[in-house]
Amino acid sequence: MRALGRELDVPPTGDLTAAVLQRLEGRAVRRRHIPTLRTGAFRRRPSWRAALVVFVAVLALLIATPQGRAVIKHVLRFAGIELRQEPSPVRPPESSAPLPGERRMSLEKARRQVSFPILVPATLGRPGEVVVSDNGRVASLIYLRTPYGKVLIDEFAGHLDPVYFQKFVHFGDVTQVEVNGKKGLWITGPHVLMYITRDGKPATASARLTVGNTLIWGTQHVALRLEGKLGKRTALGIADSAR
Amino acid sequence: MRRAIDDAEAVARALGGDLDAYGVLVARYTVRAHRAAFLLGAGEESDDVVQEAFVKAFRHLSRFRVGEPFGPWLLRIVTNDTRNFTRSRRRREALALRLPSAESGGAAATGPVDEVLAAERRSQLVAAVNGLPDTERQVLVCRYFLDLSEAETAQVLEWPLGSVKSRTSRALNRLRGQLVPREQNPVLDG
Repeated sequence: MRALGRELDVPPTGDLTAAVLQRLEGRAVRRRHIPTLRTGAFRRRPSWRAALVVFVAVLALLIATPQGRAVIKHVLRFAGIELRQEPSPVRPPESSAPLPGERRMSLEKARRQVSFPILVPATLGRPGEVVVSDNGRVASLIYLRTPYGKVLIDEFAGHLDPVYFQKFVHFGDVTQVEVNGKKGLWITGPHVLMYITRDGKPATASARLTVGNTLIWGTQHVALRLEGKLGKRTALGIADSAR
Repeated sequence: MRRAIDDAEAVARALGGDLDAYGVLVARYTVRAHRAAFLLGAGEESDDVVQEAFVKAFRHLSRFRVGEPFGPWLLRIVTNDTRNFTRSRRRREALALRLPSAESGGAAATGPVDEVLAAERRSQLVAAVNGLPDTERQVLVCRYFLDLSEAETAQVLEWPLGSVKSRTSRALNRLRGQLVPREQNPVLDG
């Protein structure tokens, strides 16, 4: 019988590891956890582990479809951005990961490519580079040399959602701020940024660790995410000057 | 380079939220789990069943007792999922067990007479196993095709050890009765 068993035809199987882990990552972020700092974890991979343990923010764009909502459990949805909190990291993110379908172009061309108005902060002036991603879903303004180092602004169609917002302000590292009379979020320290595709799933390899601090705010038509080694006052000044 | 970690350590780390450690277990047990799912009747859906089982296993990892072997514990979940799957489809994949096609006609048939006869007997045996009642087929798959011990089979199928023993012997007897009588049954003794 055993010999027969060895001869039985079993089709080959692929490597399921990636698929399983991806599903578990999705599951992990669905649980709500109080952030805890596990000191043991710091010794091994301090740079990203500590940050992730404390906070994870997710850039989730156009998650307006019912399917998208079912897939992702929101901790906070604000201006097209989701913030999620995790007890411990799932993967070490790449230091820099591209968004899907990035195309570098002039600001003028970018304005024709996207459906929302691209705002440019007067205090920073014209961006050094403009990148449009995922068929016009995101426009990124990149300032390579500013007094604060590299500064990045992601813009995309989004809107304010104060209901979700209220639930969230008590979490550490995130404070509520006011930008042009509207609510915004100020997130201190690095966190993981992940791009959510149109079908509500995190884009492969899009996860990366943010640099410095982050300000998230929105207008009626566009959501913005400013990232860089900026203080709160500077960031708010930049946001206020965006036209 | 990742240092090889044993199952117990991987489980402990996975319990602490280390998904990479769990990935080690997934990679290590995928082939075995897939073989079990396929031979127990999940057919084309074996990959899905196994993926589901790994996700479920992770969720239930806290119930895993330290020191327990991971393989049978996982296979129990795979078996359950396979059962649920076949039940929901109200069928198990027709002829779940099959021999490579060469066995039934090609090279073997043109070989020496002994080989042809042996191949024929194997085909008969496979057909007979496929025709067994579910419980008896399952116990034979676990015991002989997945090489599990009686105790492991009991754990995987969630039966008392006595049922494993009795169903195994009943299944073997039934097979002996169905196969062309011979002085000995060399195939069944292995």
